[in-house]
Amino acid sequence: MIKIEIVDSYIKPFVSNDKQKEKGAELIFNGRVRETEHGKKIKMLEYEQYEGMAKKELENIARETQEKFFINDIFCKHRIGKINVGEASLHVSIWSKHRKEGLDAMSFFIIELKKRVPIWKWAILIDGKKIPSECTHQ
Amino acid sequence: MMKVKLKCFSQVKYALGENEINYELKEGTFTDDLEKMVRKNAKGKLDDVTLSIAVNKKYISKNMELKDGDEIALIPPVQGG
Repeated sequence: MIKIEIVDSYIKPFVSNDKQKEKGAELIFNGRVRETEHGKKIKMLEYEQYEGMAKKELENIARETQEKFFINDIFCKHRIGKINVGEASLHVSIWSKHRKEGLDAMSFFIIELKKRVPIWKWAILIDGKKIPSECTHQ
Repeated sequence: MMKVKLKCFSQVKYALGENEINYELKEGTFTDDLEKMVRKNAKGKLDDVTLSIAVNKKYISKNMELKDGDEIALIPPVQGG
């Protein structure tokens, strides 16, 4: 199963459960906002998306990930808007039969997300100034 | 003439100062022509920025002729996650 959500408020993690009898691995990744960008302290990040395309591209990547690694489920929430330092901007949960395909799938999904999904960050500096973030980790 | 809409994000928005811009263009205008025009209007602010192009919310990999009503985004390096 694939579930993709883009949310504009605090991310509520996907609910875990003990009823998945054939899925031996449950992987959870939370991407969080760091306090510094290129050595400068920031107050928060503001994420903007290309509405419509960002979700569609996340769904495409999730489908590709599922087909490539034979995982059972991939669930993803990406937050947009203002996000304070320390809070999660990305939450991904992957269920698979064994850990290896789950770990490989998680890595692939996040790498592709960072290459393709039209979402951008603006850094809000301590003095309140808003500038496009220079952070482009692949 | 035809009407197209340019959506602006991140560095493109910062350079042009707009969220979106409506253009009236000559028939036969291609995506590369629009990109050149936008880069010129940005007065150097996009010179070092690599831009991908999406037409109607889908990435394109080669130069494409625009049609009336198209929505184009010049996509600077993305930063999700």
